[in-house]
Amino acid sequence: MNKWEILWNHREMILGGFKSTLVLFGVSAIAAFLLSSLIVLAIRTGRAPFGRVVRGVVDGMRMLPFLIYAYLLYYGLPSLGIRFDAWTAGFIALITYHAAYFAEILRGTWATLSTGQAEAARAHGFTTFMMYRRIILPQLVLRAAPVLGNQVIICLKDTAFLSIITVRELTAAASAVQSQYFIPFEAFIVAIGLYWLTSMLIEALVARLGFAAERKGLGYKLAAVRR
Amino acid sequence: MDTSSPPFAVEVRNVSKSFAGIEVLREVCLNVAHGQTVSVLGPSGSGKSTLLRCINWLEEPDSGEILIAGVRIGVRADGKTHMPDRELARMRARIGMVFQSFNLWPHLSVIENVTEAPIHVLGMAEDEAIGRAEKLLEKVGIGEKRDAYPYVLSGGQKQRVGIARALAMNPEVILFDEPTSALDPELVGEVLAAMRALAEEGMTMVVVTHEMAFAREVSDEIVFIDQGCVVERQAPEAFFDRPQTARARQFLSRYT
Amino acid sequence: MDQAALHTLLLGAWTTAWISAVAVAGGVPLGLALALLREARIPVVGHIIVLYVSLGRATPLVTLVLFIFVGAPLLGIPLDRYTAAIVTLLLNTAAFNAEVWRAAIRSFPHEQVEAARAAGMTRVLIFRRIMLPQIWITSLPGLVNEMTFLIKASPAIGVIGIVDLTRVTNRISAITYEPLPPILVAAALYMVAIGTLVRLQRLLDARAQRLAM
Repeated sequence: MNKWEILWNHREMILGGFKSTLVLFGVSAIAAFLLSSLIVLAIRTGRAPFGRVVRGVVDGMRMLPFLIYAYLLYYGLPSLGIRFDAWTAGFIALITYHAAYFAEILRGTWATLSTGQAEAARAHGFTTFMMYRRIILPQLVLRAAPVLGNQVIICLKDTAFLSIITVRELTAAASAVQSQYFIPFEAFIVAIGLYWLTSMLIEALVARLGFAAERKGLGYKLAAVRR
Repeated sequence: MDTSSPPFAVEVRNVSKSFAGIEVLREVCLNVAHGQTVSVLGPSGSGKSTLLRCINWLEEPDSGEILIAGVRIGVRADGKTHMPDRELARMRARIGMVFQSFNLWPHLSVIENVTEAPIHVLGMAEDEAIGRAEKLLEKVGIGEKRDAYPYVLSGGQKQRVGIARALAMNPEVILFDEPTSALDPELVGEVLAAMRALAEEGMTMVVVTHEMAFAREVSDEIVFIDQGCVVERQAPEAFFDRPQTARARQFLSRYT
Repeated sequence: MDQAALHTLLLGAWTTAWISAVAVAGGVPLGLALALLREARIPVVGHIIVLYVSLGRATPLVTLVLFIFVGAPLLGIPLDRYTAAIVTLLLNTAAFNAEVWRAAIRSFPHEQVEAARAAGMTRVLIFRRIMLPQIWITSLPGLVNEMTFLIKASPAIGVIGIVDLTRVTNRISAITYEPLPPILVAAALYMVAIGTLVRLQRLLDARAQRLAM
């Protein structure tokens, strides 16, 4: 039996791992984005000291490797009496870590928006939250689409670190299959291929957002031409 | 108009405001009756824009009161509690504003700019909002641009969208903050024409402007502000032909 | 945390530091080579490079290091774990650096090249004396940014048995039964290293902007 056949016979292990990766990544990316939207709103509209503290935390997260943060949550917290199982620690790590990155991206993008439009929104009777949801946030997403897309791909790759804290996702599955059945190339090639496909999909989505942005004159390419 | 409505659409009572230690407004008073068009004139830095922005509480005065149709804005009736975001938003929904830099929302098309606030602030049904928006855009003369995005429009077109957007909220008064100052000269006329039509229909307007001919022909009253104080308050012909103060004369000499 | 534990931790930090440094030292020039090859528009090579960069940016480091460490011997290439780790980090960072260099090359003002050609310079000379000194400056912020990502991803090498700054915390807590202190110290060390690089990046950014004027 050739190695590819062996792999095919045990495909449920790999596919099961892939499904776990997708769930981890999908849920975390969306939750992180939502959390980050709130963080940025809090930073921009909250009281100054609070905003500074939040910014400090965000900056701190961005100087930490993801794995050591996951270690902190999974191996470190039990010393303080807080015990998470691997999956929960994984989700919390992914969501809070990437929320910090998304928040920094959104905050930086907001700083480039002209202040007039927020004023116009308030002058027309929008509450702060409504203004953020309908006027500011859509523009932040359109303008920062490529950078946000990059960050989403990083989130996908970070799920692989969770194999080190015993989460059974795609890399853990590929590793298990290859060591059991001696098919390292085949198993890892498929795993890498699946990561690659997923990130292509993300880039395709980002490209579509880019088209929408171009159409409205918000793309970075058009910025130089805008009147 | 019911007889119990208050006499003034906008009342500004003894409003003062400082920025970084510099007094920009000093005990300014202003009353705008319903249906009136008041033009606020004055040299740069005189505090005209700040006054306008205090009326819809985009700037918060240090002291004084501002009433919109008899109701205080920014601070509750007790004089002490600041209005929360939601109440303030509700009051602002009754005041329209047109900005010097247009401030259109770039991610929305022209018609979406005009329907956005009616739908999401007033809770208007989408079809109704679109129908009204189309009429307003026709009225200001850019009906055919309804699906365009702001970035393709000229300054004059953008400003007319801004006017339609303010009108779409059916405001009781519209504030104009130097609406033509950012426009190339040949585009100024189309915007002033739209504003003139509004004044003739009886819209209550407070206009900060440098367009003297417009102020003279369209206003019911001229308020001249210099260094934060109201220096003169007169009917247009009286102000332009027979200014009573030296500062007004000095100001007008630049425009004749 | 006692002396012995601290000493072990610092050894782990050193491991991370030297492996990262070697990977960067190789990955920066490799990235430049890839970018230049791509701009040279050689038919097949160009496509291969695009594929490599795309794969390199999409593959998690954990998966890649396992793949290389386990797979290389089967191809007849004996690889000890340190070499495997360096090769993995190098290949990964080169893919990202290729894009940084490419952006700098693309945005390089063509007029300068024309002037140099008019003065009789060969392509190699133009690149060496005119282009490289300048794209080096404009690329630095992006390259330093990528270095911070390299350090943040480096804990992946623990999975093939290298006792780096992250994995060393497992070692220490296996002896002391107190996992939190070494993790916190390791986290602090990472933050100091990355924080320094971020500050450096901002300085370089300002310098690059001035050049662009």
